[in-house]
Amino acid sequence: MTSHPVGLSGNLAPRQVMRATINQFDIAVWRSESGIISAWDNRCPHRGMRLSHGFVRGESLACAYHGWHYNCEGFCHYIPAHPELTPPKTVRPVIYSVIERHGLIWINPTAEARAHELPDNLIPLRTLTFECDENTALHAMSSTAQHAGESFEPGDTLSESPRIITVNTPAIANGIIIAFHQCAPHNVIAHVLVQNTLSSAAQIDVSRWLESVRRHAEANVSEYL
Amino acid sequence: MSAREHALKYWYPVAMVNELASGQTRETVLLETPLQLEATADGNLNASAHKQSLSVQNAFDHWWVTLSDNPYPLFKVPEAAETDRRFVPCGVVRVLCSPLRAVENFLDIAHFPFVHTDVLGAEPHTEVYKYDVKIDDTHDEVIASNIRFYQPQAAKSAEGGIETQYIYRVPAPMVAVLYKTCPQREDAMDVIALFVQPVDEETCDVWPWMALYDDTSSMADLIQFQQFIFLQDRTILENQLPRKLPIDPGLEIPTRADLTSVSYRRWLKKRGAYYGALEGR
Repeated sequence: MTSHPVGLSGNLAPRQVMRATINQFDIAVWRSESGIISAWDNRCPHRGMRLSHGFVRGESLACAYHGWHYNCEGFCHYIPAHPELTPPKTVRPVIYSVIERHGLIWINPTAEARAHELPDNLIPLRTLTFECDENTALHAMSSTAQHAGESFEPGDTLSESPRIITVNTPAIANGIIIAFHQCAPHNVIAHVLVQNTLSSAAQIDVSRWLESVRRHAEANVSEYL
Repeated sequence: MSAREHALKYWYPVAMVNELASGQTRETVLLETPLQLEATADGNLNASAHKQSLSVQNAFDHWWVTLSDNPYPLFKVPEAAETDRRFVPCGVVRVLCSPLRAVENFLDIAHFPFVHTDVLGAEPHTEVYKYDVKIDDTHDEVIASNIRFYQPQAAKSAEGGIETQYIYRVPAPMVAVLYKTCPQREDAMDVIALFVQPVDEETCDVWPWMALYDDTSSMADLIQFQQFIFLQDRTILENQLPRKLPIDPGLEIPTRADLTSVSYRRWLKKRGAYYGALEGR
C-alpha cells in the first residue's frame, strides 16, 4: 500500500489525538507534549475501545475507557486499576509507520511511510472534507470556475495514488497543490498547499474558492454517482 | 443449537408498564423479529410476532416477552417485593453494540474514574482492590462480591464522597443486577439493574431499573441521574471494536480487575449463550 496524507501537521497540536481511516484501517494519530507523533491501530488491547477517544498526558496516550497509559513506542506502562503493576510488553496496540513532510502527516499501515516529493516552496493552507468521491470533487473545480466566470486550468498530476494535482486559478493563484485522501467511498479530504509567496488576501481567496467548489461538489453528488 | 435459538429461551423487556395507555400500540424488534405490542383496556399487554400471540408477563415495572413456548423462568429480584423502596424504571436507551457488551460494561468498576469522572469515581482513587467472583450453583448465576470503590457522588442521594460496596448478579445473559451501598440507610443496599433487549447481535435497547431507598429526590431527578450516567457509558459502548463481545481469550487482554468480566464470558460460553458474542480470536 502507498502512504496516505491523512492530515495537516499544523492541525495536530501537541497533546491532541485524531482519527484517520485508510481503507479498512481505523487509526489513532496523536502527538505527545514534546511533539512526537504516533499512529496506531485504533483499538485498545484491553477492551477494544477506540484510542482516538483517548487523552494525552505528557509523553503518553491514555485510553478513555480505563485510563491505560501507552508511551510513544506503544508499550503500556501504567494501568490505573493496578498502580503497582508493571504491565507485560505484550500490551501494545499495532503500530503503523508515520512521517511528516511538506506540512502533511503521511501514514502507511502496511509498510514504511514515505512522503511524495513535492516542491519545497509550499506552505500548507487548510484541509477540506468533501462528502463525495474524488472525481466529483475534481469535476466541481472546473464547473465552479465556469459558473463564476473565472478561468481554471487543471495542471499536472503529481501522483495517481494518492491523487496529488496542481491547479491554477489565474485570477487568484497559480501552483496550488491539492493532495486528496479518500477516507471512504463518498468521503474525500483535500489538503491544500500554496506557494509560500502568496499573500494573505490571496490565501483567503483560495480558501473561499475551495469552499465554493465543495458546495458545488456536494450539491452535484447525485449527478455523478 | 444456534446462538439465536439459545437466546430465544429467555424473557426480555420490551416496554415499561406505565408508559402505554389503554389501546396504545407500538412496534419493536426482539432478536431480529418484529413485534407488535398493544396495551389492553384491562391493563395487560398483547404482544405478537408474525401474527402469533406471545407470552407476556409484568415484572419490575416492565413488560417481559419471550419468543419461546418453553422458556427458562424469569429471574428473581426479591427486593422488588419490598414496598418501602422507590421503584424507578428509567426509560430506554438504544445502543449500537452487542447486548453482551452492554452487560459487561455494567459489571466493570475500573472505568468509573475515567468515564464517570467526579461522580462514580475520580483520580487518584483508581485502584481496584481484590474481590470475589463465583458461580452460584443453586441459581447458576455469576456473583461478584466484596467490591469496594471510592465514589465522589455514589447516588443522587449521596452527600460527598463515600467508599461504596458493590455486589453484582448476572441471573441471565442479558441482565445484570447491582446491589450497592445506600447513602441514606446503613442496613440496606440500593438495587440498580440493567435489562437488555437484544434487537440484533450488534444493536440493543437498554432499560435501566432501580429499587432505591431515597425519600427526598424527585422521580425526575432519579431518572435524570441514571440517564446521565448511562449516556456516558454509551459513548464507550459505541466505540468498542469489534461490536460483538469476544468470548474466547486472545483478542482482548484482561487484568485482575476484570475478574467479573472474565467469569461472565466463561459463563456465557458454558451455557452456549453466543448471541452477540464473537468466537475465536
